[in-house]
Amino acid sequence: MKNNLLKSPIMPISAKESQYGVDPSHIKKRVAEMPDMVSVSLKDLFPDLPDVIYPGAEDSLEMLYETAKEEIRKIDMGKIKSGDSVNVLASHHGFTLYGGEPYAILLRAIRDIVEEKTGTKNIRLRAGVGMRFRETEEYIRRYKLDEYYNGKAKGMAPIDPGIPIETEIGTLYGLKAAYDADWIIHAHHTDVREVHFHRQIDKAVKPFGMSYARIETRSTYHQNLGPRAANFIARAIFESNFVQEKFAFAAFLDVGPHGVIGVDADADLYALNDRATFIGCQLYGKVMHLFGKIDECIAVLDFPCPVPYVFSAGVIYANFAGANVDLYDMEKPLPPYTWYTEAFYKKNGKPMLDSIPPLNPSIKMCVHNYAWTGYPSAFFSEMIPTVVVGAEQAELFDMEPMNMTYMNHATIAKSTDAAMEFAYNVTGTDKVIIFDGAMGGLNCSKSLAEFLIEVAPIVSKEVEEDLLPKWLKQRGVDISVLEDIQK
Amino acid sequence: MKLVSIMAKVDKDKCIGCKTCEKLCPVLAIQIEDKKAIIDEDACRGCANCADRCPVYAITMVKREEPFTVKVDVKQFPKEAIDEICRKAHVNPEQVLCYCVGTRAEEVAAALLSGAKTPEEVSSMTGMRTGCTIECIQPMLRMVEAAGNKLQPIEGGHQWYGKTITAWELSDEVKDKYKSKGFFFDEDKELLDQIVNLKLEEGQNEK
Repeated sequence: MKNNLLKSPIMPISAKESQYGVDPSHIKKRVAEMPDMVSVSLKDLFPDLPDVIYPGAEDSLEMLYETAKEEIRKIDMGKIKSGDSVNVLASHHGFTLYGGEPYAILLRAIRDIVEEKTGTKNIRLRAGVGMRFRETEEYIRRYKLDEYYNGKAKGMAPIDPGIPIETEIGTLYGLKAAYDADWIIHAHHTDVREVHFHRQIDKAVKPFGMSYARIETRSTYHQNLGPRAANFIARAIFESNFVQEKFAFAAFLDVGPHGVIGVDADADLYALNDRATFIGCQLYGKVMHLFGKIDECIAVLDFPCPVPYVFSAGVIYANFAGANVDLYDMEKPLPPYTWYTEAFYKKNGKPMLDSIPPLNPSIKMCVHNYAWTGYPSAFFSEMIPTVVVGAEQAELFDMEPMNMTYMNHATIAKSTDAAMEFAYNVTGTDKVIIFDGAMGGLNCSKSLAEFLIEVAPIVSKEVEEDLLPKWLKQRGVDISVLEDIQK
Repeated sequence: MKLVSIMAKVDKDKCIGCKTCEKLCPVLAIQIEDKKAIIDEDACRGCANCADRCPVYAITMVKREEPFTVKVDVKQFPKEAIDEICRKAHVNPEQVLCYCVGTRAEEVAAALLSGAKTPEEVSSMTGMRTGCTIECIQPMLRMVEAAGNKLQPIEGGHQWYGKTITAWELSDEVKDKYKSKGFFFDEDKELLDQIVNLKLEEGQNEK
């Protein structure tokens, strides 16, 4: 066993003030601080992961800003005239990556280079959300983006006024505020987040069907087409004449499970999507596959975002809850967790079809030390024994329209120590995985770290030789794109 | 079924009467009178749309002193009548339509058989679409229409605009054009049909 690979825990970002979480003063302890917790560097687990800009040296964020400007400057912006209006379209999740500042830097760089190259000063930030309607308003304030965009930054919610968009599959609806400019710039990232929903199909296009879209469109995605056809909605909107006439280019923060790799800007969104597909399948796919090998554990939620979205090594809890199934394999119709799956549980709590897989049975208990409301999460507490730390968090969930029944199934512990002690005693396992967004590695118990170090080389080989070729073939992506990326 | 335990409360000193809240309330519980928002407390189902979009933060959600439950009893109607609406809308009666509240299709069908004619009335009677208010709008519209009602968006409102495409309406031309990109159109339709057509034995699926 390579014990030299075991490192001190990486301290997660602090609790944040938000209407979706309890007051940070209620978060007394982080699980990463507890005895027997260690961290493992993702580069140690998978040495072939590319180098990152951030986290890195003290000036790494400045380097990222320079890199972003350099990449965006390469884009031909000839069609944007001085005096034209430009909407930079952003999404909430980017702000949860690596402390949020890297995505804010990308948004600042886009503004600066568009002004530099086109002369226009009418550049607006329009930041969409999912179900937490105030979320990007909070980020805009936190990262002072309103000042940076000269008072022209605003959050958009899916119930805000919309506009019909005529597509190849009929009328869909976008947000009026997203499209109220001559040009749009799509500012996103390569983090995979909800693999259970998008299955890494057209991931780079997804916001056109989500954070830039009205409720009717989002509901079409999640209710009308099925789990593996859903993301076509995003493509249908993006390919509409209306959007194509406004689309200027896309600028993405290239992130992997271990950090910010760089910036990718392109006027051809599908070319960028192919590259993002590689990152999603190859880099994140290895961590996802690794997590699928975990035989038993206590899962700890400890990050300022909703229950399903807390993450470890780039994998969100919702995907760990489905890690008993290969989420990238398109032959598997229903992941253990996705809304289509959740809809297909009978009143007796059993799935309607025998082929519906259970939530990851290796999760023996979930310790909810710190996570937010703002996403319907009762399915998790109903299916996985869950202990919530602190009555304040329980109260917050009881007051939140999407989570009125979350605490029907969860129990409350008065402290982090008590919750962990309970989990150890009840489950009998000492393997702990912490979803606290630790940067560059993952925090876990020593026992789990040793297990991960042992199986990582096998996982890497299985992904490279067997799974990646299959995943890419299912997505119609040519593997030669990988060679271009490596160059 | 929903336990309604919170409601919206307006701070009249802050309210500017902009009508944002009125235009997105899914149960039409808000009206503007004398340039101030008035909440019908009995009608409010506690979704927080108004509080979360108010531009001046004049609305907060507060605990109700007397929480109550909204529910439509499915058993008061023949199973065949419930089934007919559900199948027409391409859903299984036991299928969960609203992920926040946990509303199942059969209760929505029962609400429609009880006289609900609009999405707003269904929301009021069952609590459906009073969580996130986003993701269940399409099956809601399908169900309301399947019960023989004409879909008519609220004039000037942004509660919902219209029904969109489903797996059963996608053209072969679109499917052929894009299936090589990783979209499993026919396979997913088959899966959805399997769910829709699944016969669940009455009484055997209760907790």
